[in-house]
Amino acid sequence: MFPRPVEKASAGVRWAYKLSLPIALFLWLLPLLAIFMTSIRPASDIATGNVFGIPSSFQFFQNYGEVFAKTDALQYLINTLLIAVPTTIISVSLACLTGYALAIYKFKWALPLFFLFVAGNFVPFQILMLPVVDMSNRLEIINTVPGLVMFHAAFQTGFCTLFMRNFMKALPFELIESARLEGVDEFKIFWHLVLPLVKPAIAALCVLIFTFIWNDFFWASVLIRDDSNLPITVGVRTLNGEFVQQWHLVSAASLLAAVPPVLMFFAMQKHFIAGLTLGATKG
Amino acid sequence: MNTAATSTDRFSTSAGRMVVAAVVMLVCVVLLMLVSTTGMQGLLDLAQRTEARVPTFLVRISLIIAALTAAFFFITSHSYYKRNKVAIAPWMFLSVGLVFFSIYVIVPIFQSISYSFTRWDGLYDFNGVWTGEWVGLHNYKLLLDDPNFYTSLWNNLLWLLLFMLAVPIGLFIALFLNQTVAGIRIYKSLFFFPFVISQVVVGLIFTWAYNPEFGLLSEIWSWFFCETKTNIMGNLTRVCSPEPPSILGDETMATYGIIAAGLWPQIAYCMILYLTGLNNISSDQIEAGRLDGAKGWKMLRHVILPQLKPATFIAIVVTVIGALRSFDMIATMTQGGPYGSSNVLAYYMYDQAVGEGVGRYGYGSAIATVLFLIMLVYISYFLWRMYVDEMEAK
Repeated sequence: MFPRPVEKASAGVRWAYKLSLPIALFLWLLPLLAIFMTSIRPASDIATGNVFGIPSSFQFFQNYGEVFAKTDALQYLINTLLIAVPTTIISVSLACLTGYALAIYKFKWALPLFFLFVAGNFVPFQILMLPVVDMSNRLEIINTVPGLVMFHAAFQTGFCTLFMRNFMKALPFELIESARLEGVDEFKIFWHLVLPLVKPAIAALCVLIFTFIWNDFFWASVLIRDDSNLPITVGVRTLNGEFVQQWHLVSAASLLAAVPPVLMFFAMQKHFIAGLTLGATKG
Repeated sequence: MNTAATSTDRFSTSAGRMVVAAVVMLVCVVLLMLVSTTGMQGLLDLAQRTEARVPTFLVRISLIIAALTAAFFFITSHSYYKRNKVAIAPWMFLSVGLVFFSIYVIVPIFQSISYSFTRWDGLYDFNGVWTGEWVGLHNYKLLLDDPNFYTSLWNNLLWLLLFMLAVPIGLFIALFLNQTVAGIRIYKSLFFFPFVISQVVVGLIFTWAYNPEFGLLSEIWSWFFCETKTNIMGNLTRVCSPEPPSILGDETMATYGIIAAGLWPQIAYCMILYLTGLNNISSDQIEAGRLDGAKGWKMLRHVILPQLKPATFIAIVVTVIGALRSFDMIATMTQGGPYGSSNVLAYYMYDQAVGEGVGRYGYGSAIATVLFLIMLVYISYFLWRMYVDEMEAK
């Protein structure tokens, strides 16, 4: 283990370390803590300059209630779910298929096609923007939730394929070979043998893609203009314009947008980190 | 898994299944054509009604899925497939994902590049004919004379350089947290926290933190430079000298302010990559290093960092991509202002192409193409590295 464990150090160092942890964390999360404090104080506090002290009254429920009552925040949250869940299902399912083809079969196109997916995954969004807008227009799905889902699902298939292919490459190939010799159909091998083995990868991908899509801002602002179809990220920015100088409400709405991915992260932490750090250890 | 079947049975065509699949496929295609033709939509008065767009689209998608399923059974019933499974199956596995990905990602890259040689506002005339005109390299010539383009390019360079700070700082925090004291796991997840939050929210948090009147920064500023006085009306006022800076309102500071905000989640990401990397370092080598008398900086430099190479590589890749993709924060914090001083190529392109009252598709595409070419350098390097790894693995 590096650095040397503090347990082996002197008592003084040990205490200093344990004391420095909460201080460092406090400084690291200071912006977040401050905005949380702002979201539970009354508007009058901010006007009188009591921005960081103890709130003159705790208005947690009033402020957050007001966000829901005065705005379409609930609608925005539902829209985000309607975008994120189908996207996750479609792109992860498709990537199981493509990843399997690219990892298991040895044909000469396997590597070039894999690189096509990887390269596509890294291109700047702006180079895709106008043709995608144009196509969505012609398919008459611009401004709709399914239209956004179609794009997200296609784009995320690239990342999911990269992930799945590398995960499946590490499976014991002899297992598949022997099933083939038994005369099992290719699709049955995939369904009954390989899919159960990649369940951890599927879980990791689902958590990651859900979070990515939940936090997407660019594509939602490009492909959706109707207020009733906006997801929460774009919605929150619109609210920022409406609540001029009402920082207690802006901060409450912002934190609201952050809650679902944060919950997701804490519930599925192991999968989330396994997904993000794929490739950080091998090689 | 029909093990009882003889080998001749296994490879022969199942005619019955093929016929059924063909009929289903035909029906789906006919229905699809009916739904897609404008005549049908006009008949049902669907084309005019916005709320009908989604249902018609979903019907079309379902028909396509049904047709694909039928095609799957059609192919797998044929004896040619049964005799050449290993050659045909990968293409069947790939087909849907590859076509979908190509339509939405690969083809648009080339379309965008071709748009960049035109002058177009994104519209078609009444008959659906393209209204743009071909102008050759005109957009690129305009680009060379556009001061905003140079500002954006320079800011992109700043983003690339300063964003790299996330890698060493992430390593530093990872080293700090790589201990086994009680509760350290919770500390690690809380340090990772900023990465999970949407960039829009991070942008809003920092917009507020930078606010010169009542933000976090002005509060810290006031500890050093301000005093509270009673004014002639008898009210308490705060007098500062010098006044707290308005970071996002200042042309020279806005970009640095946004980059600092962007670093916050990016450091968290690099930290988690390094924590995982540190977790997997072989303790034998560390012990061997200790026996050789290596410790502290020497140990880090000669024993630890070489083993963290894969983590460093990924950290650099994601940081470069993050820097070149920076859009959300600029859109939330400054919209490229003041006076375009915090623009980057990504935001400037958006602004030119679909910003209010502009609609310069051709010019926007030219900016996007430049950004794409910059990214292509990194993509090529990344692919080359992957190729080398693949060849070594064989």
